[in-house]
Amino acid sequence: MEKSIESIWKQGFLDSDALVAPKVNDLYNRKSIHLIEKFKKMFQMNIWGIIIGAVILFVGSYLIGALIAGSILFIMLIYIAYTAYYELKTLEGIDKGQSSYFFLKSFKDWIDHSIDRYGKMYRVVYPLLLLTFYFGIWMSDVFAGMRELVAERTTDLIFGFHTYTSLVIIVAAILMSVFSKRIHKEDVSALYGGILKKLEDALAEMEELRDQHSI
Amino acid sequence: MSKDFYTISIKPYAAIIIKICRAYTNSQEDFEDYYQEVCLQIWRTRNNFRGQSEWSTWVYRLALNVSLTMLKKKKNNQQFFNSEFLPNELAESTQAFPDEALNQLYDAIKSLSEVDRGVILLYLDEKSYQEIAEITGTNANNVGVRIKRIKERLKKILDGKVN
Repeated sequence: MEKSIESIWKQGFLDSDALVAPKVNDLYNRKSIHLIEKFKKMFQMNIWGIIIGAVILFVGSYLIGALIAGSILFIMLIYIAYTAYYELKTLEGIDKGQSSYFFLKSFKDWIDHSIDRYGKMYRVVYPLLLLTFYFGIWMSDVFAGMRELVAERTTDLIFGFHTYTSLVIIVAAILMSVFSKRIHKEDVSALYGGILKKLEDALAEMEELRDQHSI
Repeated sequence: MSKDFYTISIKPYAAIIIKICRAYTNSQEDFEDYYQEVCLQIWRTRNNFRGQSEWSTWVYRLALNVSLTMLKKKKNNQQFFNSEFLPNELAESTQAFPDEALNQLYDAIKSLSEVDRGVILLYLDEKSYQEIAEITGTNANNVGVRIKRIKERLKKILDGKVN
């Protein structure tokens, strides 16, 4: 005799083994692994982005006749990519065997440490990038006409550069150096904001869970 | 999450969560993942429960919403090679329950649309049309028509499989 779906349902759940709940422990185990894996992928993409950007800048600088500036920018960007790659390697060193909470906490410490380290490095890198870009563009072949035009119309020149424009750029470079950590932090949050928010939420929840008697 | 909260507010309703999570997953690993996420969501939203409905209805609603959200997230992540998105005939049968007929019924339920799965689970758990309508955000008449259609579909799928 054909059973109705209602009777299959009822009879099926009569067996006490049918409804065994999984243990609710280490709630964030898979979640934390996913979170960090996602971050790693984005970080790797970011490194590739820097490398590709460096190559484009180098080729572009050759085409506009600013090869020296292009080479400096290229070397700086490749150095940044290399340090980022090295940083990523240290992330691999985080012990995955520890609990999800300590795993995520180590990851958070790694991010904070990384932001701090990069902030210091960018104190030099940001202004150098800006100044090289400015002076490189100004001295490039494509700007030869512009240089002549400025030289004809103003006497406010210093070493062939427009004084006030150069002053603005130099001040901007100094400001970038002073606020390098802040800028880098904003940069990180623009790129990885979603993941960092999830990380903070997860840690806050886990801390709340830990404060009570965990199941 | 305190032991007391789990024992009082979740454990007695674990059956609801298990039944729903099983209908939206194709592996034990995913099932455990969904189950834990539902438990977490119940704990997170514990202060939002106003007592206007039964606690079990609240648990149903959360379990359904969490399962649908997790399914959507997986689709968005384009994890198309995950067993979750394999066509039913290709997905490995989970054999989640000791009863073979129940496993086959679950396989048939998994072939339904995401919303239909939720509706039929609620119906099989003897929720009234009104309660189902409240949980799924529709009206009782619509639920009645929908259940009739789903049952016909399930019967067709199960024909020849269950004697």
